[in-house]
Amino acid sequence: MNGWHGRLLRINLTTQTTSIETIDPQVCRDFIGGRGVAMWYISKEVDPQVDPLSPDNKLVFAAGPLTATPAPTGNRYMVVTKSPLTGALAHSNSGGEFPTWMKRTGFDLFIFEGRAEGPVYVWVDEDRVEVRAAAHVWGKDTHETTDILKAETSDEARVACIGPAGENLALMAAIMNDKHRAAARSGVGAVMGSKNLKAVVAMGNKNPDLHDPTAMRDVSVDTSKNVGADVKKGSNMRIYGTSYVPQVTNTLGIFPTNNFQQGTFEHTKNIDGDALKNQYLIRHTPCYRCPLSCGRLTEVPDGKYKGKGEGPEYETISSLGSGCGVHDLAALVKANYLCNEYGMDTIGTGMTIAAAMEMYEKGYIPESVIGQPLKFGDHDAMIDMIKKMAHREGFGNDLAMGSYRLCEKYGHPEIAVTTRKQEFPGYDPRGSQGMGLLYATSNKGASHMEGDVAYEEVFGVPVKENPLSTDGKAELVKHFEDAFALIDSSGLCVFVAIRYVFSKDRLIFPQRLSEMMNFTTGAGYTPEEIMKAAERVYNIERLFVLKAGSTEDTLPYRMLHEPLPDGPAKGKVVELDKMLPEFYQLRGWDEKGWPTKEKLEELGLTM
Amino acid sequence: MRINVKLIANYQSLLPAGTIGNTIELEAPAGISVLQVLTPFGVPLDDTSVIVLNGLTVDLNTPVSEGDTVAAFSAIAGG
Ligand code: SF4
Repeated sequence: MNGWHGRLLRINLTTQTTSIETIDPQVCRDFIGGRGVAMWYISKEVDPQVDPLSPDNKLVFAAGPLTATPAPTGNRYMVVTKSPLTGALAHSNSGGEFPTWMKRTGFDLFIFEGRAEGPVYVWVDEDRVEVRAAAHVWGKDTHETTDILKAETSDEARVACIGPAGENLALMAAIMNDKHRAAARSGVGAVMGSKNLKAVVAMGNKNPDLHDPTAMRDVSVDTSKNVGADVKKGSNMRIYGTSYVPQVTNTLGIFPTNNFQQGTFEHTKNIDGDALKNQYLIRHTPCYRCPLSCGRLTEVPDGKYKGKGEGPEYETISSLGSGCGVHDLAALVKANYLCNEYGMDTIGTGMTIAAAMEMYEKGYIPESVIGQPLKFGDHDAMIDMIKKMAHREGFGNDLAMGSYRLCEKYGHPEIAVTTRKQEFPGYDPRGSQGMGLLYATSNKGASHMEGDVAYEEVFGVPVKENPLSTDGKAELVKHFEDAFALIDSSGLCVFVAIRYVFSKDRLIFPQRLSEMMNFTTGAGYTPEEIMKAAERVYNIERLFVLKAGSTEDTLPYRMLHEPLPDGPAKGKVVELDKMLPEFYQLRGWDEKGWPTKEKLEELGLTM
Repeated sequence: MRINVKLIANYQSLLPAGTIGNTIELEAPAGISVLQVLTPFGVPLDDTSVIVLNGLTVDLNTPVSEGDTVAAFSAIAGG
């Protein structure tokens, strides 16, 4: 096969045995790769009702057909599993270098099943696979673990691992790769921890074969040139990475502040891209083969927040910054480093602390329970809470359950800003209605990465939509959800894909991406066929989520009943009722949100 | 009348030299439109920019009032 290796590596951690299997080419074609093919295996092999932290859950690492090809940003992988945070589906994306190294082992997928008796790591050097003891790195942070495991395997290898948060089954635990990159959301790191799997180390020389290498090179060079032209003009993504976004969302009044109690933050300029660039930026850092290079190496050179690492990104600034009312940039940068070192999703971590802060200020959780005051803006208390969450110490044990369970435990579920028990990212949907519909319906719970319509509502890419209007948002959300399923399955990064390989015209939306897929795989997709495959991926995921019992597409109390008190979107709530029925209709789902028989037949999902 | 012009991130360089931050206050004639406010700054007035009036999506011919803020930023993926 071309593009796809058509091979998977199965690792049974209980028996410590491994096997190599071929992947049916028709499954690759129908489910694209990466996220889609991983989901096909999950739905075939994992009971949707399974306890996500039991040995019966499976953890899939999945590279896409464009991963490790010349396609710019073909450097992604997806982690797919049943989520312990949401009880539904997790599919978390990451870039850096590990995903390319993983693909070069000659496998598209690693499937981890069972549970090792004690801590282990898995070392994959092409077909040489070893399950090795990892007691010596258990308890160590992700940076130390990466260094130690590279030293005992190969300096040429790349490492994905969990930190203390994953070991301790914190529900916001991430899987970190290349130290700073995260498959962050939905508690994928806790699933890895539940299997006693500390790390995966990968290396190889098996680049995928390409169907038409010349055409693939030409389309890749041309795409890189387009990115390069924007970089030359002064692209914000190159200058600031995503850290320029606080100024944008604050201007639109959708910058989550104090646990979404407000939509504007008076201290934005203290934690925005300029502040970061002027004070702590060392240089920008790319994922493998990325012409945009939006990552940034930063350093707080001295003082009590001294440290060095990558980021923070926008989502971290909005969760650990404005979300917690924090405007001390050095402390915020340090909090980001700590999350990376402990292996934690910064959104889940920040917004859980934000919910605790609101409950503390309202008197719903007494100081005696927390062990200290926990006011909005108290950056030192925030840092203490991060440490306690990762290690499940004291009140950190409550925080490690995430904001939904925390707020429920203390009798105030209305404080939790979550859907499917997962914390909201950094766009207040009261001022971006399409994002509201997205969060409500998202298979993986609130996530911008499920179909980020903020591209149109906020950033004007590929076209500008009015964020306060509900008109046309049902169609927009469906399009973006399918587009993201396609991008995630292909192995590209959304930042470059949306801007440079999608057209502005939704009817011919993925033309260039279809070309890349065809030059790579020879599958001969038309743009319509590939969008249909993406819709198939979205629907097979939907079925899993519904069968897992996560059947309610709704929003938390605050979004439906508490109008935004400030900013341009003042007075707005999310008008979900105006969008949801049309969305179900466009999706071919019944009035309760279940895919109809006709839709499943159309997609070939009546298995 | 006094109005504000806010040019975000890389558009800040279009503000007069020496401007601190991303916003300036300026005197403008009554009835001036969003488009007319931004033209002298050289902000690209096509779909490569996102332009808002007081944070709201408006037609570029909308008249600006006393105290309003016209903001612009480059339309590029991020977040
Ligand atoms: S745009 Fe940023 S996140 Fe995406 S591949 Fe490039 S450096 Fe990585």
